[in-house]
Formats: sequence, structure tokens, C-alpha cells
Amino acid sequence: MDLIVRQGEREEKVRVRRNDDGYEVTVGDRTYHVDALTARAGLRSLRIEDAQTVAQHEVFTRAQGEGVYWVSTSRGAGPVEVADPLAYLAVQTHGGQGGKRRQRVDAYMPGRVTAVLVEEGAAVTRGQGIIVLEAMKMENEIRAEHDGTVTRIHVQPGQPVDMGNPLFDLE
Amino acid sequence: MTATIPRKRIRKVLIANRGEIAVRILRGLREMGIRGAVIYSEPDRLGLPVLLADEAYPIGPAPSRESYLRGEAIVELAVAIGADAIHPGYGFLSERAGFARLCRDAGLTFIGPSPEAIDAMGSKVESRRLMMAAGVPVVPGGKDPLPDLDDAAAAAEAIGYPVMLKAAAGGGGKGMRMIPSPAELASSYRAARSEAAASFGDDSVYLEKYIVEPRHVEIQVMGDLHGKVVSLGERECSLQRRHQKVVEEAPSSVVGPELRRRMGEAAVKAAAAVGYSNAGTCEFLLDRDGNFYFLEMNTRLQVEHPVTELVTGIDLVQTQIRVAEGEPLGPELDGVQPRGHAVEVRLYAEDPWNRFAPSPGRIEMLRWPDGPGVRVDAGVYEGSEVSIHYDPMLAKLIVWAADRERALDRLDRALSELRVEGIRTTAPLFKALLADPDFRSGNLDIGMLDRKLAAGDLQPPVEEGREAARDDLPLIAAALAHHDLANRQATAGPAAPASRRSRWGAAGRRAATGGGGSWT
Repeated sequence: MDLIVRQGEREEKVRVRRNDDGYEVTVGDRTYHVDALTARAGLRSLRIEDAQTVAQHEVFTRAQGEGVYWVSTSRGAGPVEVADPLAYLAVQTHGGQGGKRRQRVDAYMPGRVTAVLVEEGAAVTRGQGIIVLEAMKMENEIRAEHDGTVTRIHVQPGQPVDMGNPLFDLE
Repeated sequence: MTATIPRKRIRKVLIANRGEIAVRILRGLREMGIRGAVIYSEPDRLGLPVLLADEAYPIGPAPSRESYLRGEAIVELAVAIGADAIHPGYGFLSERAGFARLCRDAGLTFIGPSPEAIDAMGSKVESRRLMMAAGVPVVPGGKDPLPDLDDAAAAAEAIGYPVMLKAAAGGGGKGMRMIPSPAELASSYRAARSEAAASFGDDSVYLEKYIVEPRHVEIQVMGDLHGKVVSLGERECSLQRRHQKVVEEAPSSVVGPELRRRMGEAAVKAAAAVGYSNAGTCEFLLDRDGNFYFLEMNTRLQVEHPVTELVTGIDLVQTQIRVAEGEPLGPELDGVQPRGHAVEVRLYAEDPWNRFAPSPGRIEMLRWPDGPGVRVDAGVYEGSEVSIHYDPMLAKLIVWAADRERALDRLDRALSELRVEGIRTTAPLFKALLADPDFRSGNLDIGMLDRKLAAGDLQPPVEEGREAARDDLPLIAAALAHHDLANRQATAGPAAPASRRSRWGAAGRRAATGGGGSWT
């Protein structure tokens, strides 16, 4: 699982892979073997190994909202944000309730549009890629969350976008 | 006072308080086989004191004035439930002579001094006069206005420089001037008068001795109903934030046996001058040369009483009760000397890195420290709601060790075991203090903490040495939490995330409003 994780001003690419006896976690260019066990709800014991050392950390985490986790360690506490670009299907908001599903899809992080894969008016199926957004040197395909018609595309290839900028409308 | 005091056994006590001190008193009572009854306001129905009490009675809605401060209702309740005595704790009604009088008139034992002693110590002017008459040192100077420069010069000479000029009608630091030597007197005198006139419409000023970077050192006293008063040694409470004590310890690192004896004698004289009985505390300012000056007497049990208990082995609450029953103080309380060193920190539901903003809410997880030399006096438990209605103190964490250095190491260890999740606490401030060289070396004065906080000198300590993933730990923890959550959602079917759009923005806003945590 490839993630973008942000703590305060710091932003890192983090890769989490399950293996036989725990996880392999890569933060930037540093790779750790992590044995993570839950002691009680929210409280984990992390045994973290890198090439030289092993350390045990007791960490409390609590999901605060979509993609935001409160993390409390012996060295401090605060929110850490996790974005999950590759597993991402589409951003949903602004939809009418029931009946016809209309949706405007916004950029969920700042980046640059590298490709627009369909034309306005195209009929698309759930999971079909619509736009490719590059952020953190990763290309992320923004896909349709449901079958429908792309009624409008707000961006062009090469265009930088800020978080919250509209990308396309799906009906 | 008559020569024969009838012994009156106390069998049931009503505790007119809440929180950790109500719990502390209940513990003392239970060990003595005395029934403990508590009162509670509406939001305190499930408070720790209620859960631990033998009896519990509602006293009103959340505001203190409609609950814990209803003296007449509390006395009526105590009579109705057949209590023999009322323990007022600290705060609330504990220093109201009128309440002590109501108890006496209703035939109840007030576990504290007489209303007359409370009254005498309650007035600053009156207590200062009494203390001077009793030969207890007070801050030199006087409230007499100084109409011209010659009067001021004569007064300053008599007191001894440095002196402080204060506006008679003043307050809040306005019109106050420190004068280090006679050369500065004339200009400061004129400036202080005109400032006082401009600020208060009254240009009269008076002089007091200026005490350079004093320490707050207080003496615990205990008096019985037979006229005996003893000193149980000092506590140093110089670490204060806006005049509120934050860390207390016993003994003081600058008080030796000789100074302890002199301060103890002064405190006993002060208490005896007002016919004091039960537990009380004389607060002094101590200057660098070992001179001390009486500030005031607190006519009740103090928040920080446990540090005295740990270095003397005396249970102050139980001694209060025995004294209130009429038992005389025994010879074991004469000439008590401290053994080892105790330190207390007050754990508040406040964010020390965000201007001490209150942090009410539900305690999601709570683990108190434990093990050798650790005591926790708490008023909350895991799952408690910390409400906005009362003092935000959650608990007092107290440690004891053979000497100060080891006590501080133990405090550090205890803080590393402490876990409070769901609300912010002042625990990180204590971690920062433990890394402060002045605090570590005992180089304290009453302005030190405010100065260091204002200067931003207190920062969470950066640990030495290298360990795996030290800086990456929060990122790893969040990524794993996210990974687990995503896997759970994948097995449970697709979730419909709400308002994805705003998540970075929401976190940014939280950071901007000070909710950004305290990463080091």
C-alpha cells in the first residue's frame, strides 16, 4: 500500500507491505521491519527494526476523520494525515441525495494533471480512469466511482491544481 | 479554651468537596473505619468520589454557587444524614468562617480551625498586624502614604534598599516601581505618583521592601484543641504559573536544619497567636540571604500536603480527624525532620504548548504510573468526562526517593509510564522542566516558571542517542493504523467516506487553531 503521510510540515511517501512476521514499512528511503500488535483498542506495541537497531514503542492512535489520525507517542502527540492515492477511486461530494447521482470530483491533494483520459460527454464505467494526477512524484489515476457520463472536465493536461480544485463532473 | 476537651468520636463524615481531595479524604476515613459521605453536583454523579463513597447525596446543578458552595444546605444535609463532622477539603467553603460557624451552631465538628482563627487570618491587614505583634517577620514597609520625597527617603532608609514603591489605590502592577538605590529614589517617586494619579485618580504611594527573586517556602503546622501547635517542616512551592503552584517539593533544597527550625518556630508563633487548631500552612517569602517574611496563613489542608506526608510518614488527613475528635498531639510529632525527598506535580487538563488552553472531554485511555516511590492522588478514571465547570486539575503525581536528584529521576520515569489519551494534559510541561538545568539544580524563584514560559525556554526534551525510526515513528504508526482500517473496510465492504474533499484542509485548520499537537 503506497501512501502519502503528512505530519505538520513534513510529507513523506510511505509504503506498507505485509510479510510473514509483520510489516515492511518504507518511509522515504528508509526501510523498517515492524512487528505491530494491538494491546487494547487504539494502543499498539511497535517493535521497529532497521539495519542497526531495534526499539519498542508504545503508540496510541485514533482515527479522527477520513484519513486523519491522532498519534500519541512518548515524544509527543498530534494529528497525522494519510492519503491513499492508488487505492483511491474517486472523490465524492456535492452529490444530490438518491435519484440521479451527480458528482463533482475535486483534487484531494495538490499536484499536476498529467493526462486526461476521456472527453467531455464520454460514458464511463465504475473504476474507469478519468484523469491522471501527479503528486509527490507518483502518478495517481482518478477513477469514476460509479457508471455514468463525464459531463464536464475542468482541467487540462499539464495544469497544476490545488487541493479542492474541481477536476471533473460525473453524472 | 477550657482545660478539659471532651473526646467526641467521629463515626460519619460528610465531605463538602469533589475531585481528588474528596477521594483523598475518603481514603483516610476508610482506613479509620469512619463512614464517608460525599455530595455531588449533577455532572459529578459518576465522579470518582461518588463511586468510592459509602453514601452520596445530590447537592445541586453544575455551578458551584448552586451546589458545592451551598453552605446552609450542606450543613442541613449533614445533620439529616447523621454525620458527626464535615471535612471541607480545600477551596469551596474551606476558608469561610461563616461555614465553620454554621457547623458549630448545628452541633457538627468542622474538621479545621475555629471560625475565629479563620477570620483572623482571612484579613491581610489584620493578620499582618497580628503577626507583627507576635514577632513573626513580615515584609518590611507599610501602607502609610508618603506625602513628600523626604518621607519616602526616610522610609526607604529605614526599610533598606532595594525597595518597591506601590500605589495605595493600585493593583495589577500599575504604579509599581522598584528602586535599587537612593540615587533612583527622587525620579521614581515623582514618576510613581503621577502614574498613580493618572491610573487611579489618587497619587498616594507607599514603600515596601523589594525582595529579589524570592522563593515560596511554606510551613505545615498542626494544632490540637489543647493549645499545642507543631511544625511539620517546609514545602518549597516556588514553581508557579501566574501565582498558581505547579510543582511542590519537600524539603526545600535551600532550607537546612537551622533555617527549618527558625521558620518552624515563626509558623508556630503565627498559629498560636490566633489560637489555631487543626492543619494549616504559613506561607513565607524566602530571600537569597535566608531572610523570610510571612505572607499569609492558609487555614485548611493544602493541595500539596502529600509531599509532607511522604517525607514525614504522617497522614495529615487522619491527624486532622483525630485532632478534631479532641485527641492531643503526641510526642511523635515533636521536632519532625524530613526523610528523603518528595516532589509533586499537578496534572491539569490543559495544553501547555497552547497557552494552557483548557482541554475538557472524555478520557479515552488512562494509565497511572506505579512502582517504587510513586503516589497518585486522582479524581478521575478512564472514561471520566472532564467538565468545564470546575478546576481542571485531574490528579497529583507525587514521588519519593532518598534525595532530590533521585526523586526527579523517579518523576521522569513515572511521567514516562503515564498515559492520558482523549484530552491534553500538562504532563509534557513537566518533562520539559525535568530537562531544565535551573529546575534540576534547584535554582528556583517564584517568577522563574513565568519567565521561562514567556521566553519559550521550556521545550520538550530531545532524546539523545539513536534508535530505530525515532523521527519516523508517528508516520509509521499512522500508516499502519490506516492500513489496518483500510483492510477492515475492504473486508466489510466499501465504505462511503464523507467529505473527503476537506481532509487536508481540516487538519490544516486544526493546526492553525493550535490543535496541532506537541511533536518534538
